Amino acid sequence: MSVFLDLNIISSHDKNKLRSIIETAAHLGYSTVAINYVVEPQKKKSEIPKPQSVSDIFEKFPVVQGKSTPIKVLNRLTIVASDASHFRPTNEYKLFDLVAVYPKTEKLFHAACMTFDVDIICIAVAEKQPFHFKRAPVNGAIDRGVFFDISYTAAIRDSSMRRYTIANATCLMEVCKGKNIIISSGAEKSLEMRGPYDIANLGLVFGLSEGDAKAAVSTNCRSVLMHGETRATASGVVYTMKKPHTLEEQIEDKPASKKAKTETA
Amino acid sequence: MSPELEKCPRSLLVCEKSNFMNEKSRHDIHVSKHSFNYKISVLIPECAVLPANISGVISNFSPYYLVRDLPVYELLQDKSHETVVQKGTVYAVSYNTKIDEDNSIALLPSGQLVLSLNKDAYEQLGLEGRPSLYNHRKAMRYVVTLNLRDKTLAPGTKRYQRVLSGLKDRLPLRYDFLFTEHNTDEDKTLYKLLSQYKPVEHKAVLSHHTLKNLPCPTLYPSDLQGTTLSCDPHSFLEWLGAVNLDISCENAADSFLSTYICPEPKSSVSQALLCTITGFISPEDVYLLLQELRKYFDEPKFTQWLSLTVHGFMDSPVSWGATEHGFLKGGENFYNLVCFKNQDYWLHMATGAHDGCPP
Repeated sequence: MSVFLDLNIISSHDKNKLRSIIETAAHLGYSTVAINYVVEPQKKKSEIPKPQSVSDIFEKFPVVQGKSTPIKVLNRLTIVASDASHFRPTNEYKLFDLVAVYPKTEKLFHAACMTFDVDIICIAVAEKQPFHFKRAPVNGAIDRGVFFDISYTAAIRDSSMRRYTIANATCLMEVCKGKNIIISSGAEKSLEMRGPYDIANLGLVFGLSEGDAKAAVSTNCRSVLMHGETRATASGVVYTMKKPHTLEEQIEDKPASKKAKTETA
Repeated sequence: MSPELEKCPRSLLVCEKSNFMNEKSRHDIHVSKHSFNYKISVLIPECAVLPANISGVISNFSPYYLVRDLPVYELLQDKSHETVVQKGTVYAVSYNTKIDEDNSIALLPSGQLVLSLNKDAYEQLGLEGRPSLYNHRKAMRYVVTLNLRDKTLAPGTKRYQRVLSGLKDRLPLRYDFLFTEHNTDEDKTLYKLLSQYKPVEHKAVLSHHTLKNLPCPTLYPSDLQGTTLSCDPHSFLEWLGAVNLDISCENAADSFLSTYICPEPKSSVSQALLCTITGFISPEDVYLLLQELRKYFDEPKFTQWLSLTVHGFMDSPVSWGATEHGFLKGGENFYNLVCFKNQDYWLHMATGAHDGCPP
């Protein structure tokens, strides 16, 4: 098994709130967390936010409980898509370590599973699933290495949402047989987070086996991170890095900018 | 609700009974094989004060050392090689590393260095190992065992160079380590060896308190399985755990319902001594304590039995001998000795889900 990761901490503009959530996560034993920027293109005036630099939040990251390494913080983008035009992979997506999509219709779910360039597909937890999961797209997603994310704080907040979460999760389990599932928090407050072993037990309620439930919080999340890293590479083997230009070089480059663009390193 | 939810992760309990005086008794082997112990608890019914001989033995337990940020290749270097491997009395285990999350390292006195590595570390290190027995769908954990006493791993050989270069250059692992050594002679070889890394010496911490009016099960040495006279081992161990954690077994109809009860047949004792020793305790020290506890019955006492429980580290890579140890929902690996007046004993060895069967 690998380290425990929580890939869904809802971002907020309040730095103190974010700090307290990350401190709670480190205290509970999570080695890596991802701050989730949720974007709904349907609403007007929503553009892809630029992820705030991780070092802005903490100067010195809190140490994970029981270990001697500090917690790692990543950035994740979730697009709430109700139309195919909402998901357009642009350069802004590249600023994020992980990209997720939350499909609202069956057609979009199918497209997301088979074609979209995402790492995570979110499952509805706060409402009844408007469509059924079909085996074909789900298996297609599993083959491509895309994971399904179930967030659990809705279940903590409200009892009717708890029913929806468990119902939707068990439907998904029947189709995917416990593969490619991650369970994450979706926490907006530090009190909404729970420890990794508790979440592994919650996985049992969803219908996962013991090993699958623990993997949903550890190994599968690590696989998602790997998938996210390889999105920026060519077949996961070659990757490019922008070489920092000095000021002089920039002035010289201007006339010749039509010939050469970015250097690869 | 699905039937899956009623199942718990499996646990194993091996029970043995014999007599200390019996020459074929294997209690000494079982005690010596359980290398990494972090807690001992002793329960003596009908006793108010810790006997002087027992507290004397406990205060003479060897100290243990915590070394921060020690590079692993140091355990192989020539200087350590003599002390550590040839002498064969040093126990070392990595501290603040979780067995199911990170890499965990242990050194046994038999000269075996066990590295329990996650996939990335194993692939980077490049040493030969085997996948862990407790992998789920994908192999995420690998175990590399190096026998430092093996001639092929003697300093100067090709294989030794490869291992050393792997641990130095390819994957420089540095962890906090706990060291202990049982030495009867006064020369502090281990301390001298570690002195350049600023070891912090610790002694085992003893705490004891007397419990009043405790319902205690009556145990008969002949009936280990609990069919006729005593209670069965599971209920006994459950009750023992409850006593250690100060959980009331009255089963009174309070607002909070605790359904733990003292197993029948039981009797109420007016006082019992519960003493806990925490630290990195070597098996030799455990054996000395056991000898003293056996001597407790030399004088006539009210109680028929006393119990000694030794808990192993939850995050150590091995449990008994070189059997691999893992952590699913719990990493318990402990053994419990019930010593009787007539020098009979019961030995219960228990492990959790990701663990091999105790010997």
